[in-house]
Amino acid sequence: MTVARFLPDMKSPTGRALRRFVGNPSAMLGLALMVAFLLVMFIYPAVSAIGPNSIDLLAINKPPSLAHWLGTDGVGRDVFARLLEGGRVSLLVALTSSVASLVIGFAVGAVAGLGGRFADAGAMRAVDVAMTLPPVILLLVLASITGPGIGPTILVISLLSWPVLSRLVRSRLLELGQRDFVVASRGMGAGLGSLIRRHALPNTIDILVVFVTLQVANAILLEAGLSFLGLGVPPPDASWGNMLFAARSTTVLTNYPWQWMFPGLALVVVVLAINFIGDGLRDAFDPRSEGG
Amino acid sequence: MTLYLVRRFAAGILLLLALSMLVFFLLRLAPGDPISSYIDPMASMTEADMERLRQSLGLDQPLPFQYVYWLGEALSGDLGRSLQRNGQPVLDLLSTSIGPSMLLMLTGSTLAIIFGVIIGIVGAVRRDGPVDLTLAALSSLGVSSPAFLTSLVGLYVFSGVLQWAPAGGMQDPGMPFTVSGLLKHLALPALILAFGQTALIARYMRSSLLEVLHQDYIRTARAKGVPGRMVILKHAVRNALLPVVTLIGSTLGLAVGGAIFIESVFNWPGMGLLMVTAVEARDYPLIMGGTLMVGAWVILANIMTDVAYAFIDPRIKVG
Amino acid sequence: MRFKHFMTAALMAGIAYGAGMADAVAQDAPTRLVGGFDVGPGGFPNNVNPLLATTGYMALTLAYEPLVIYDEKIEKVIGRLADSFEIAPDGLTYTFKLSPEAKWHDGEAFTSKDVAFTLDLARNNASGSVYVARLATITDVATPDDRTVVLTLSQPNSSLLDTLTKLMMLPEHKLASIPADTLARNEYWITEPVGTGAFRFKQYSPNQFIEYEAFADYRRGKPKIDQLVNRYFKTPAAAVAALKAGEIAVSYVEADDVTNFQSDDAFRVIEGKSQVVNYLGFNFAAKIWDDQRVRAAVMYALDRKTIVEQLYGGKATVANCGYTAERLVPSDLEAYDYNPDKARELLKEAGWDQINGAKPISVLTYYNNDQSNNVVAAMQAMLAQVGINIAPRVADMAGYNAVIYAKPIDPSQFQLVYAGLTNGPNPGNLNIGLNGAQIPPNGSNYTRVDIPAVSEAFNAGLKQTTAEGMDKSYRDVCSAMNKELPWATLWETKRYGVESVKLKNMNWQPAPGGGPYEMHQETWELEGN
Repeated sequence: MTVARFLPDMKSPTGRALRRFVGNPSAMLGLALMVAFLLVMFIYPAVSAIGPNSIDLLAINKPPSLAHWLGTDGVGRDVFARLLEGGRVSLLVALTSSVASLVIGFAVGAVAGLGGRFADAGAMRAVDVAMTLPPVILLLVLASITGPGIGPTILVISLLSWPVLSRLVRSRLLELGQRDFVVASRGMGAGLGSLIRRHALPNTIDILVVFVTLQVANAILLEAGLSFLGLGVPPPDASWGNMLFAARSTTVLTNYPWQWMFPGLALVVVVLAINFIGDGLRDAFDPRSEGG
Repeated sequence: MTLYLVRRFAAGILLLLALSMLVFFLLRLAPGDPISSYIDPMASMTEADMERLRQSLGLDQPLPFQYVYWLGEALSGDLGRSLQRNGQPVLDLLSTSIGPSMLLMLTGSTLAIIFGVIIGIVGAVRRDGPVDLTLAALSSLGVSSPAFLTSLVGLYVFSGVLQWAPAGGMQDPGMPFTVSGLLKHLALPALILAFGQTALIARYMRSSLLEVLHQDYIRTARAKGVPGRMVILKHAVRNALLPVVTLIGSTLGLAVGGAIFIESVFNWPGMGLLMVTAVEARDYPLIMGGTLMVGAWVILANIMTDVAYAFIDPRIKVG
Repeated sequence: MRFKHFMTAALMAGIAYGAGMADAVAQDAPTRLVGGFDVGPGGFPNNVNPLLATTGYMALTLAYEPLVIYDEKIEKVIGRLADSFEIAPDGLTYTFKLSPEAKWHDGEAFTSKDVAFTLDLARNNASGSVYVARLATITDVATPDDRTVVLTLSQPNSSLLDTLTKLMMLPEHKLASIPADTLARNEYWITEPVGTGAFRFKQYSPNQFIEYEAFADYRRGKPKIDQLVNRYFKTPAAAVAALKAGEIAVSYVEADDVTNFQSDDAFRVIEGKSQVVNYLGFNFAAKIWDDQRVRAAVMYALDRKTIVEQLYGGKATVANCGYTAERLVPSDLEAYDYNPDKARELLKEAGWDQINGAKPISVLTYYNNDQSNNVVAAMQAMLAQVGINIAPRVADMAGYNAVIYAKPIDPSQFQLVYAGLTNGPNPGNLNIGLNGAQIPPNGSNYTRVDIPAVSEAFNAGLKQTTAEGMDKSYRDVCSAMNKELPWATLWETKRYGVESVKLKNMNWQPAPGGGPYEMHQETWELEGN
């Protein structure tokens, strides 16, 4: 709230939204956590000599110590280094797939919203089918086809996450479609492409920003879940999901808890932080939802 | 009402059909020769035998024909045979695992609904009080903690450290069946399943109740001198529950996702575990059958929700 | 409200399902033994067809019996369904005298016709039998009377008795009417199978358990255990948890878990040689391993000594060929000591960049436990150092078999395997995985090793009729394996089992493939039950 005072008094809707966002304590907490985490994630590998994949068979299953802050795993890899590497992999997967599903979701939603009755019906039936299945089941089906790997994981998550966005974009645009200026530009011969560029994009930007933020958290969870089942990011690449995979053995679960608790904690904290940011953004764009 | 039901079910069946088409064509994108899913790897077969089989299965036909063939078989109750586990019919495998899954999901969801509604009411009534804030924090945590992590933590704490709960399975195998044995195994996974969903329902219940409490008739009731607690219980909660009912449908759908992880951590012999092992073994007939079964479950859950919603519509009751 | 009714109905359905699963209700407290007989590498969970057994013999011998079997110490072959047997000095005629009292579980008498029928089935590719090639030297099966079986061979076969210990006798009166080509996965095996063993099949629950009851008419005496359950576990770790909780009385356990039991008075720990050599098997059908230098590079890249010392805690012996027994290992073997530089050099000479380069190489394994996951992770890191990237995939035994025997074969699914094969008590056991004549569908040489020097060495060993001759021949096999590297041989480990002290007379041993060996199932007892 104190920060908000130093911001220029912007009268535009974006400016007001930004002020509300900055004034939201949980969003700021989330942002601070994320920034701190990102800093550690990118600085640590530069200053540390221990690589995430370097094994040390003479130091296996060691509890946290000065040499290994979060201990070592079953082949003597440093858990902290792997946790940060896992964070990089998880974020890479999450960001890439979120952007991909943003593009798909927006495109489908925009075509449905602006492209006339038939395009609308076709696109929305596709969305219905895609939303019938719980995401994890579809994820499993797709993963069984692509096999494990970072690339396939990104593909699978992208293909899965767009329908919600399409619905949101479509309903916003249908609202918008009634407005005179869209009718007018259509009358003046504007094509679908320019309608999307000139009207759809600026009018749904808030939806897109909120979606992509929350989707990153969602994608991190999906990736972790997939890797946890052994179908996502394959070793030796680290990911939080495949680090947790190790805990499916009772020995690791009970005797070496540091091998799975820290990645689990990192997962929850990062997802929580992103959710805070996303909720903050939503409240900032739509003040009515505040305190709702 | 009857017409509505018929329409809803017809739409559901169409959706299921579209889904089967989607999954069928997706699975045909999988690497490998689809014929191999019909051949027992242990049985001996010559190239000529394989070609004959390919023809008799219609695998030499274009894909749409193959789909129609598959659909015909499926409608007559033949979903093919699993590639693993002694080639049992897919339908048998599915039908033995659907019971345990239903038990787990319905128990978990029921617990979640009870806890969620109570927590939501407390949160709304004592808005911004310490209880509300604690609940808000917990529900944020609930939404951000994936089922596999809570399962691991639950297993670690209650089975590993405290030794209160068995490490997995649905009953002590080979022991005579007892309800207490079943409940002992069911408690932990069901509570963990409920944990994630409770948060969602509580959030929803809280905001729904807050909205209702601001509405005119509640104010009127209060003004008339009905005591506050009565107002909340008699009028507000009932009306606030309405939107929550819609959430219950999607909760039952969501339970499938959570149950997959919980079943595989707790070795619970349900659909989720079956699907995961099927995917690990690339057992396509079983994946196909399982997906359809889950799809049908979700569609059914949605229809049930809509029907329930129609039943308790306030316009019928509050007259 | 209909919604509520539905919920109630569904809940009831779930409970009814659970109730239906266990129809056995205790009456006058029968003795009930629950064990994990298919846990670990010697097990084959869910395999109910003896003809498909590559491992899992301990569970099979609960209900079935072979003609002959290894003795209590797993050293010598003795009679089981055969009261006695005789091998002619030229090694070409085997005569078995069958036990006159043996009966099938349904009361029918066991006769020489059943033996002839089983041998025909086991030599028929259509039945899915994994024994076809191993029995190929049999040219004639004669049954002069109900109690006598005479086998005639085309050439001496020093592995035949060993193979016969693994071949469970099957009932002609039940199976004759089932076409052989539908037998592999027939319903019969999980509905009404009969054997001659101490326990009779009762019910099978996929992935959960298989239940037996005592066979009252067992010829060696009615078993003291009334009900026996072989419970399946997804991983050995799950079995260990069940063991600790007292849910099962006996199981194979991983070396890591042994210390937890050694200090506990309620359990006995059994240690033994695995008699199984672990290896990375090069799938020659994948066409990336044809150059011997590449295979040698894999050997040099792996620090097997450190893995044995650290990950196995010293409870394993490094293997430079298929054997580790002193009498079978010549002194002049190449030791392939850890040398990543040499590995890189060899790869460069062989032109690895053109052959495969950095592309991931699929590794299939059925070893699914912490220790082997770690071993695989260590090997992955070591091989990555020299430029070989492996991508491991763990399957259960059934999934593993489905991949390696898939039709049509898809070598891209298993360019390497991490597996183990029995190398004792009869050293000829390795033949099935390494002889060119055993390439599927004839046998289980599924990595399609076809190296003449290796095949010839095995053929010579199989023809021996004396112990000394066998040892000499198998030393030649060892040399050929060490030089040609059909596999990257790794080590032979110790294996462990744990049983409850309440369990008596079981004689559990870490037998390769789970046996078969003489366990005297009818004498097992469980105290205080």
